[in-house]
Amino acid sequence: MSDYRKPLPELTAENRPFWEACRHGRLSMQKCRACGHIRYPISIVCPECLSEQTDWIDLSGKGEVLSRLVFHQVYHKAFAADVPYNVVLVQLDEGPRMFSNVVGVPNEAVQVGMRVAVTFDPVTPDVTIPRFRLAGER
Amino acid sequence: MKDRTAICGVGASRQGRVEGSTSISLAVEAFKKALDDCGLAKAEIDGLLTMPGTTSPEGAKHYLHLGEVLGINPRYTGSKFLGGGTAGALVQEAALVVASGMANYVACVFGDAAKTGNSRFAGSYGWGDSWGIWGMFSAAANSAVSASRHMALYGTTSRHLAEVAVACRYHASLNPDAVMREPFTIEDHQKSRWIVEPLRLLDCCLISDGGVCLIVTTAERARDLAKPVVPIMGMGQAHTTQMLEHPDWWYVPHQKDAVEAAYKMAGVGPKDIDVAQLYDNFSMSILLWLEHAGFCERGEAGPFVEGGRVRLGGELPINTAGGNLSESYMEGWLHIVEGVRQMRGECGPRQVKDAELCLVTGRGMTLNCSNALVLRRN
Repeated sequence: MSDYRKPLPELTAENRPFWEACRHGRLSMQKCRACGHIRYPISIVCPECLSEQTDWIDLSGKGEVLSRLVFHQVYHKAFAADVPYNVVLVQLDEGPRMFSNVVGVPNEAVQVGMRVAVTFDPVTPDVTIPRFRLAGER
Repeated sequence: MKDRTAICGVGASRQGRVEGSTSISLAVEAFKKALDDCGLAKAEIDGLLTMPGTTSPEGAKHYLHLGEVLGINPRYTGSKFLGGGTAGALVQEAALVVASGMANYVACVFGDAAKTGNSRFAGSYGWGDSWGIWGMFSAAANSAVSASRHMALYGTTSRHLAEVAVACRYHASLNPDAVMREPFTIEDHQKSRWIVEPLRLLDCCLISDGGVCLIVTTAERARDLAKPVVPIMGMGQAHTTQMLEHPDWWYVPHQKDAVEAAYKMAGVGPKDIDVAQLYDNFSMSILLWLEHAGFCERGEAGPFVEGGRVRLGGELPINTAGGNLSESYMEGWLHIVEGVRQMRGECGPRQVKDAELCLVTGRGMTLNCSNALVLRRN
């Protein structure tokens, strides 16, 4: 059993392709077969055209920081040892946006407008969480 | 609909920490105050619209429990939950109901024992995969998303946020019913601890026990009641259910649509507004409202609030009772009460002299819901 106590996705038929892809080091999202819209969050239909026909496609994992927060307040006790930690809203190059974290640098180094690239953080045997690094660093 | 309906009675329970209270007891207390305010008898109330508080176990069936406790068998009823966007939305629904003749006097009621009930507003959002996976929790964080981007794009600063928080507290100092009345300075604000950067403790609203009731009727019926008529001149709503899918979600662009709809119905514009009660779950939300309501251009709200412009005595006094930040966190219900009282001229030392038009706005959930009312002095 994992001792990971932070929120985890509940794996379902709907979201499993996303999390399976992460486990294999790929950021994958749904592309509407009818209108081409790439959507996130994961959904049963395309919010543009309501088509149910979907392909999971791999994204570049590259994007830009739209907004940058640093949490000092502990809202969930599993994060008590992490504060202050950052949360960013990322604009992915292919269109979708998602919340995530920038890892590998101090919070102060993360600013709105910076380029980022996805990295993968295996937190349990089943779940690998997509996070980001400032682009360019390895 | 312009001027056809009116808010004829307002009532607020004790606010802040009310030991032994429940969401229902606070709602009852407010309801009785509102009846006293306008002189209506309980038997005349034939509409009941409610908002369940965060401590209301009834959820969407709240109207049933409150109706039974109040002994009301209404012609029109229901409960709605749009967070801080509920109060205005219920008043607007009540206005449509009385204008159509489906009911004559609709009581809109809210109660919440959030303080003694230990409500925390610390949840995470996202249907499906929760944003909590990445540590994204709380109502504060949603407004921090707006603040961070606004600061990066337009040069808005934490001191600008302080300006509005200081103004709200100053107004609360003039309001004997406000929970937090000790004035603070911009420097005090700058020294307060971070909650979620770029928001500090003094950027955040209170958590309060309390109840509020607003009674809506036709403007014609309102003339026979105890207090000066406060007509609803204009009203509007707009909502963005899409969050990550909406490229401008952080800016809550729907709020502009809600205010413009209310202006259009009223036949007025931002220059006509004398006083505004702008929904302030966080100080940042006031900056956004100032832009959405057309008091300044997009990106200019920071400089706009400098130098006390939104304080009493300034060009556009806002949140004259103290708002969610300092009066009491009644999810915007008290903003409407204060709007009515300003239009009646009942506000004593915090009265905006000769004020004829008041804009009241509400917003709620995860930057999703918004509404606006234009009230006028009769």
